[in-house]
Amino acid sequence: MYTQSITRTHRTAFILLIDGSGSMSERIRYRGRTMAKSEVVTDITNGLLFELIERARRSDGIRDYYDIAVLGYAGNDEVWPLLPGARRMIPVTELAELEPRISRRTIECRMPDGSISLREVPTPVWVEAEAAGQTPMCEALRQTRDLAAAWCAHPAHAESFPPTIFNITDGEATDCSDDELIAVCEQIRALGTRDGNVLLINIHIAAGDSPRAVFFPSEQETDLPNRYAATLYRSSSVMPAVFDEAIREAKGPGAVPPFRGMSYNASADELIAMLNIGSISVKTE
Amino acid sequence: MAATLQIFTRALQTPDLSFRTLGDARAVTDACGMPRLMRTTRFAEAEIEWHERRWLLALPLSPASLCMAERALLRIGTLRSEWITECRLLRGEMVWTGPTGTPQSCDLLLQHLPEGRSFDEALGCEGAERLLGELDALRGELRRLNLAHGNLHRGNIRWTGRRFVPIRYYDARFGAPERDDAAFEALREEILRQGGSPQAGDVEAPYEAGCTLTGHRWTSNLFEGLICVEDDAGYGYVDAQNRTVIPAQFLWAGDFREGRAEVQTPEGMGLIDRQGRYIIPAEYEIVTYVPAESISKVRKNGRWALFDYLGRRITEFVDDGERLGVWEEA
Repeated sequence: MYTQSITRTHRTAFILLIDGSGSMSERIRYRGRTMAKSEVVTDITNGLLFELIERARRSDGIRDYYDIAVLGYAGNDEVWPLLPGARRMIPVTELAELEPRISRRTIECRMPDGSISLREVPTPVWVEAEAAGQTPMCEALRQTRDLAAAWCAHPAHAESFPPTIFNITDGEATDCSDDELIAVCEQIRALGTRDGNVLLINIHIAAGDSPRAVFFPSEQETDLPNRYAATLYRSSSVMPAVFDEAIREAKGPGAVPPFRGMSYNASADELIAMLNIGSISVKTE
Repeated sequence: MAATLQIFTRALQTPDLSFRTLGDARAVTDACGMPRLMRTTRFAEAEIEWHERRWLLALPLSPASLCMAERALLRIGTLRSEWITECRLLRGEMVWTGPTGTPQSCDLLLQHLPEGRSFDEALGCEGAERLLGELDALRGELRRLNLAHGNLHRGNIRWTGRRFVPIRYYDARFGAPERDDAAFEALREEILRQGGSPQAGDVEAPYEAGCTLTGHRWTSNLFEGLICVEDDAGYGYVDAQNRTVIPAQFLWAGDFREGRAEVQTPEGMGLIDRQGRYIIPAEYEIVTYVPAESISKVRKNGRWALFDYLGRRITEFVDDGERLGVWEEA
């Protein structure tokens, strides 16, 4: 299980769910600057999209190794695609053909002597930040369940590495109880291909002054900070062994698998690490 | 986690802050100012300008990628030949700050891109006879060096106006230069097909590719009755009838010579026999088998030792590999 390499005949899928609720306008520190959480998340998402496109690039052009969906959720049960165009899931070749807006970003670089230098670099932007309204996470997960089910049911994907879903949020669902949230997540995790079940990774990000973080917890780390962290733990996939090495490297020595695909009060850098581990640890042709 | 392409891109955009040696380099960019990346299976590449020359800078996408290229590159760097372009392994060249705020670094490969034209461009501006002659000259030189490029095709060869120079030595191996024979024949056919009518004497006997194997992502040639193949599960070996002999399981594997083949696993490199049994366990950084001497040159923690044909260590590990003749021609 979870051994299928990603190839053009065995493509996989990545689905990103991004909380666009009002609380995402809260400002946090990121790369030396203070930014809204929604801006940080979209910046990191755009970075992941860049990574996926470039990893699919070969001398003969972009190859269809991935199908990609980026969905936002906010307001009153509103779930919408964040990628340009109306389609929810598109192949990476189509994503690469979209003309992204080029933003000139100022980044903070630490010099060898410890001083700070600011540089402006061009950065492609496919997804724009939004933050308003409530957190209809349950509805977003239901729609993601249907999207993933349709993908898995396609005969061409029967042998593929299963879809990986990242749910990025900074709060609790406002449209369901904990039990309902866990139930829909179980439905998602029950989907799959012959190579394994769908992977659902729930990433809860926090402001900088939050209490202790939980990051890819192992079964030994049962001392979760609160009820909601425990709900996210139960809602998330157990990460298959193919990810163990990358997770251990990120967590540090002494971490013992299996790990749960969740974080609570994660920093922006931990969000980057989780997306990278979940997306590019799998062997691509 | 290995460096991502985002980190590589950011480093190319800020070379003075991100590279130790190449701080004054400049990446070739598109109209938007984004570095133009290219990908092979194991490396990401970008063209840069440095010291008024054009170079190919390569980021290994995993430690195993580098390990496979490292062995050949170290030796290629010592060769003196007009057919071999300059290449260097830059240790700890790219630096960045990791998720936990700690400084991180990784090695990069730097290869000079010779001035001139691509193979395809050469077809349009040079006569077939001349190109065929220079292709033969390159073939002869690689044989003299006992070097197999391992992935010679139209995208990995440059025409300088005087000779063909191969680039991208990621799959290069010393010993068995005949591994490139099929590639040379394919290039010859390409020249004959597109480079104009052949002159008398240009036409050789039809190329016999040998057995054709199906169901694999990549296949080597037949060596000692076994063919190294790459499948989804990794590298392994089949016989001439395409029957599995040693199941695909390795990150990389070499051809059999004198009943021994080098293999790479996540734990390290080792040496196997024709039954797939480890003669030298896969726990070393580098294992290079030298069939002419029936010894293996083995590196661990940067120190070198020699092992005999049966996998027994016959010298102490020493810092200076040259003391053991490690870089002498095999």
